[in-house]
Parts: sequence; structure tokens; C-alpha cells
Amino acid sequence: MITSPLYSPHAARETPVISDAAYLASLKKVTQYYIVTAFLALLIGVLIGPLQALNYGGINVYDTPILKALLKSYYQGLSLHGVLNALVFTQFFISGWMLYLPARDLGMRINMKFAWFTYLLMTAGLLLAAVPLLTNNATLLYTFYPPMEGSPLFYIGAAVMVGSSLLVVGQVVAMWVAWKRANPGRVTPLVAFMCVATWMMWAVAALGIVIEVVFLLIPWSLGWVGGVDPLISKTLFWWTGHAIVYFWVLPAYIAWYAFLPHHAGGRIVSEPLVRLTFVMFLLNSTPVGLHHQYADPNISVAWKTMHMFLTFLVAIPSLLTAFSVGAALEDAARARGGRGLFGWMLRLPWGKPTFSAPVLAMVSFILGGAGGIVNASSAFAPVVHNTAWIPGHFHITVGTATTLTFMGISLWLIPHLTGKRMPSVRLASAAVWTWFVGMMVFALGMHWQGLVGVPRRALVSATAQSVYRDMPIQIPQMLTAISGMILLVSALLYFYVLFRMLLSRRLDDGEAASPLPYSEVISPAGQHLAGASALVRFTEPLLALWGVALLLVLLMYGPVLARLAANAELVPGWRLY
Amino acid sequence: MSAPRSAGHRPAAPRLDHHTLEKYENVWFGIAVIMSVLLFVTVLASFLSGTAPSLSGEGGHHITGVKNGRLDPGNFAATPFATPGLRHNADGSYEAFVIARAFQFEPAVLKVPVGQPVTIHVTSADVLHGYFIEGTNINATAIPGQVSSFTTTFRRPGTLNLVCNEYCGTGHHNMVSSVKVDVQEP
Ligand code: HEM
Ligand SMILES: [Cu+2]
Ligand SMILES: [Cu+2]
Repeated sequence: MITSPLYSPHAARETPVISDAAYLASLKKVTQYYIVTAFLALLIGVLIGPLQALNYGGINVYDTPILKALLKSYYQGLSLHGVLNALVFTQFFISGWMLYLPARDLGMRINMKFAWFTYLLMTAGLLLAAVPLLTNNATLLYTFYPPMEGSPLFYIGAAVMVGSSLLVVGQVVAMWVAWKRANPGRVTPLVAFMCVATWMMWAVAALGIVIEVVFLLIPWSLGWVGGVDPLISKTLFWWTGHAIVYFWVLPAYIAWYAFLPHHAGGRIVSEPLVRLTFVMFLLNSTPVGLHHQYADPNISVAWKTMHMFLTFLVAIPSLLTAFSVGAALEDAARARGGRGLFGWMLRLPWGKPTFSAPVLAMVSFILGGAGGIVNASSAFAPVVHNTAWIPGHFHITVGTATTLTFMGISLWLIPHLTGKRMPSVRLASAAVWTWFVGMMVFALGMHWQGLVGVPRRALVSATAQSVYRDMPIQIPQMLTAISGMILLVSALLYFYVLFRMLLSRRLDDGEAASPLPYSEVISPAGQHLAGASALVRFTEPLLALWGVALLLVLLMYGPVLARLAANAELVPGWRLY
Repeated sequence: MSAPRSAGHRPAAPRLDHHTLEKYENVWFGIAVIMSVLLFVTVLASFLSGTAPSLSGEGGHHITGVKNGRLDPGNFAATPFATPGLRHNADGSYEAFVIARAFQFEPAVLKVPVGQPVTIHVTSADVLHGYFIEGTNINATAIPGQVSSFTTTFRRPGTLNLVCNEYCGTGHHNMVSSVKVDVQEP
């Protein structure tokens, strides 16, 4: 019997070797371009954040001459902050990260011309959308609800950018299908499995926003149709808009599952459960978006309640993740001699930023997830909907769980890709811990203000009426303002480390100095489907599950949208910024 | 897997694997499912007990000039929104009509009776706005071309702040007005 050297039957699977150096270099380069573009967007986005935190600290800095020269209004800054951080940073990072991982994990050869074309197209879309954003011609916030109208360039750029991510989906799924053909009867390796499932989820999720922008907003902004139905648009937006949070967070889960145990010296303990988790996200992430529309009229309460139920079900795979990753960490700590019910935690490498970043991100996500359940409940939602509670919530989910994880990844991935070295562990570590502390303080201040009734997305520090001045919010305002300053320091530290690293000279062979760690940590589910557990066999046919996911969305959205379309009321656009 | 250790060394705790964990995982999975379902049940219970406000599935039901919750935002003339404010209907019920437009609410001050159910209908004349009454759980979107309707009872007299909580342009943060809850018949 011949066993392929790539698939040693014992111990952990080895990463397949890619022997074509030129191909590998090109693959690494395109990944690096995605990652660096992502962090450039984050840099600009994040610098605006502390100004907003000051606003929620009761201090209006938007009348100072420098800011007046840079930003037309608070809302232009907020549009940039939301678009660059939540849409651009995440999508670019994820596109690089989840293209590179499966290609390495499967050892597949992808078409590099197509990969570069996708990157360039995505960047072109970004630049197109950036022009109106920077010139105050698309001050729509990142949700761009019509009939507030922006320049057509903004919608076209956004469509091109988001559409390009679907090309990445195509490339990764095609790569996986080719691997399946070449390896009949084999179990997809875990990292590739997680990536493919996440991309499939995103493809189903992205349909909403793509339909909204391409069929409703672009023709309307170009003047080809006389009006737009705001509720249909908003409903399509949230088809994507809730699932997008899983698109932000699943790539972080991949890091938590596959790399974090390694950085702590452990391994994943339960692979079948990880697969189940990702399949649950594939099926259940999207048909839940109506929970963002409890306050909207003309959508039946029954449908909203069904979406609420499904939203609660999406909590389950996250709870499983907390369990599995926690177990993997405990395993790692005990292997290093950790003891006791909680004492083992002390044995974890807290001073290592590649470890502390994702772990603190996870801690943050536990709190953020709990708050998310409050938001999703239609009984609580009216108290917190559109209050400062909401940004309080998502800065500890996407703003920390995702962002801090990605920062942590960059600290070993960039050395891996480029052969450059992280310049200072201490500074990087300081950046990670201050981000975590800053965001915790921020979340406390903002959740608190939200409960008192301060709305989000408002220049509350300059409100003419006394409504906010009369509220008992002095303490949370102070917390928010301070957190903004902590986060500013943190961001400066992080970007200093990042740019020093990027601008330094190449010193190592990245493959040796900062190897892709997952090859050692993965617990093999068994290489062959025939001998694998029932759960592995159930989760392996991803294409079929993808079909089920699409069907579920059509079931949960079809009747709602059909009714809205039947009663559509087109209204004209407005530019009030 | 684990080799016997020589005496004198403290044996390392056994490493976790799928088999030792499977039991715990399944228990945890069960707990997670039960928690999620319980959450749902408690929300349903709050529907039944009336502690959650419910926006009606179709706004402006039976109002003249409003069809399927829709109306023409450029022409309120044929609807009660032409004269925003509170109405005392012949059957004794109270209804209020509110228009949100950049950057104010009409009427500027909405007067409502204390202790009586009032059905409030909100619409917008231009872009999206929010209708959020401070200190309450009244929170609805005002959409041009559509009517949001909900019924509520104000239990204490006094003046409440009404703020727009949906971005509507440069004056958004100044879009604040009030609801006056009166003891006397307004
Ligand atoms: C230095 C760190 C940061 C600070 C101080 C900060 C501060 C803020 C504040 C105060 C708001 C609320 C503004 C408002 O509602 O008027 C806000 C909104 C927002 N932030 Fe951040 N932020 C930071 C980093 C991030 C990161 C890393 C992300 C995501 C990756 C992010 C995503 C968002 C989004 C999506 C919004 C909502 C924009 C909107 O409502 O349209 N922020 N930020
Ligand atoms: Cu959501
Ligand atoms: Cu407003």
C-alpha cells in the first residue's frame, strides 16, 4: 500500500509542501498586499475614533480649525470611520487571510493572475468609493440608508469592492472542489474546511447588499428611476448586515481554533465539533437580519419573531467555540505544568502578543456576545436600539474580537510572509493590552450612556437643546473620553510596530522563522471519510450544505420581501449633509 | 500515548482528547440549546404580559389616505397628517399624527393625555428619522412613504424628551422636541 507522503497516517498532518518557489512568493505577496491595504484603511479609520469618543465625552472638537479643514462634519468623519473600519479593513484582511490559508492547507496551486486581478479590482472599488467619501459627497454612514442620497460613484465603488470578495469566494471554492476531485474519499483538512465554510456563508450573506446596491441604489442614484423604497433597501441591507458580523468574526474563530492553542503550546481537542460549529454558522448566520428592524413598520411581527428565534440559535455555535477553545487552552496550560481549577491560567504566555491579542479578543467577545443577546431580543431592543449602547456593543465584538485578533495575527503573519521581524515584543504587547483595556472602558462608558438614553450617531456634544446636559451621564462620559485617549495611544503603538516591521529589511526565511503553525496543532479527524465519525461525514459535503443555507434564506426572506415589493412606495432622494 | 513515568516525578496531568471531552461537550451543547430556547420563551412571555411594545405589522391601519401602511410623502393633504397632532375620536379613543422632517417634529410639542391608551402614527416627509421618547421604550423608525403605528399609555404626567435617533443629516443632533403628558383633557 502506498501512502502519500503528504498524509502521514499518524500524529498530526503535515502542511503540504509547495515546491514552486515563484508561485509561493507570488501567493505570499498578494496576501501581504491585502493585509497591508487593510491596515492602511484601519489607520485612517481608527484615527477618527478618539474624536468621536470625545464627542461622547461631551467635548466637541469638530469646530477647531484643523478639523474643519479636514472634515465637513462629524457625520463625514463617522462615515469614514464606519466604512474604513467595518467594511474595508475587515474585507481586505479577510480576503488575504482566507485565500492564503486554504491554499497552503490544501497545497493547491491557484491561478495567480486571477488572484492579483481580484486584489486590484477590490482596490479600484475602494478608491472609487473613497473619492465621494473624502469630498463629502457620500456622507451616508456605512449603512447608507436611502433616501439619503450619495454620489453614484460611492455606490458603484462599493459594489465593485464587495463584488470582488465574491471572486475570492469563487477562487477558494474552486480550489477546494479541485482538491476534493484529486483526493476522493478524504476529509478536508480543518483549516481549509473552516475557510471554505466561511466563504460560502459570506456568498449567501452578500447577496442582499449586492442586490440592493446593483438593482436599487445605482440606477436610482444615476437618475434612471424616479425613486427608491427605503424599507426594501433597508431589509436587503440587513440581509447582509447581520451575517456580515459572522464574516468578521469567523476568520478570528479560525485563528482561535487553529493557531491560538499553538501559540500557547497546545492543540485543538475536538475537531468534529469545530466542523459542526462552522456548518451551523453557514446555515444560520443569514436568515436572522430582521432583528435589526424591530423598530421598522410594515413588517409583520411574526416574521420578526421568527428571525429572533433563529438569532438566538446562532448563539449556540459561539458558545461551543468558547468551550472548545477554552479546553484547548487549558490543555496547553496543563501541559506546561499548570494546575488547579483556575491556577492553570497563570501558565499561559500572557506576555506574548501573538497569544495575548487573540485571547483578550476572546474575552472581549464573551462580553460582547452577551450584550448581543440583549440587542437581539425584541423585548429589550426598543430600550437600546440606536443608542450609544450599540457602538458600545460592537467595539467589543468587531472592534476588539475581530480587530485585536487580526492585529495579533499580523504580528506573526507578516514575518511569515516577508521574513521581516517584529521589532519589539514589549511595544507590541503594550499595544495589545492597552487596546483591550481601552475598549473595555469604552464599552462601559457607551453601554451606560445608551441605557440612560443617549442616541448613537449624533454630535451630542453640540446639541442646542439641554436634553443631554440634563442627563446623569457625567461618569460614563468621562469613561468614554478617557477610553478614546487610551485607544489613541494603543493605536499609535500598534501602527508604530507594524510600520517598523514592514519598513525593515528582510532577515529571515519566513517559512522557518515564523512557520504557519497549524500543521502541528491540528487534531486530525482521520484522513479518510470512510473511517471518520458521523459528525465529520455529515459536515463534509459543503456544497450541499451551501444549497441548504441559500434555501433557508429564501424561505426566511422571500415572503417578507415579496410583500414589501408588492406594496413598494418609491420616494425621491435627499442630500441633507 | 502516555508512557509510564519514573517514580519521584509528579505525573503530568493527562492531556485532553476528544474522547475525554466528548461527554462534557455534549452536556455543554445541551445547556446552550436549552438556554437559547429559554431566552426565546421569555421574550414571548414578555409579549403576552404586554411589557414589550409592539409596533403594528401594518402602519396606519384604516386611516384615510393610507394604503397598506403606505402614503405619498409629498402629499399629506388627503391624510390626517395634514394637521399633525392629537385627535380625540368619536369612539373615545386617542390618536396622534406626527411628521418627522429635517430637522424637527410636527407638532413641535405633542400633547397626550395621562393614563389613556394613545395610538401614535409617525411618518417622515424626507429621509429616515427616529422617534425615540427618552426614558421609555418607545422607539420607532419614521420612513418616508410609510406609517409606523403603535399604541401606548403614558402613566405619569410631565414632559418627556423626544429625540430623533436615526441619522438624518447635518442637523440630526438638534432634532429634539417633547411630548407633554397632561392630566387634563388636552
Ligand atoms: C481607536 C479606536 C476607536 C475608537 C475610539 C472608536 C470610537 C467610536 C465611537 C465613539 C463611535 C460612535 C460614534 C457615533 O455613534 O456617533 C464609533 C462608531 C463606529 N466604530 Fe469605532 N472606534 C474605534 C475603533 C473602531 C474599530 C477598530 C472598528 C471596527 C473594526 C470600529 C467600527 C465602528 C463602526 C462600524 C461605527 C459605527 C459608525 C456608524 O454608526 O455609522 N471602530 N467608534
Ligand atoms: Cu444583527
Ligand atoms: Cu435625525
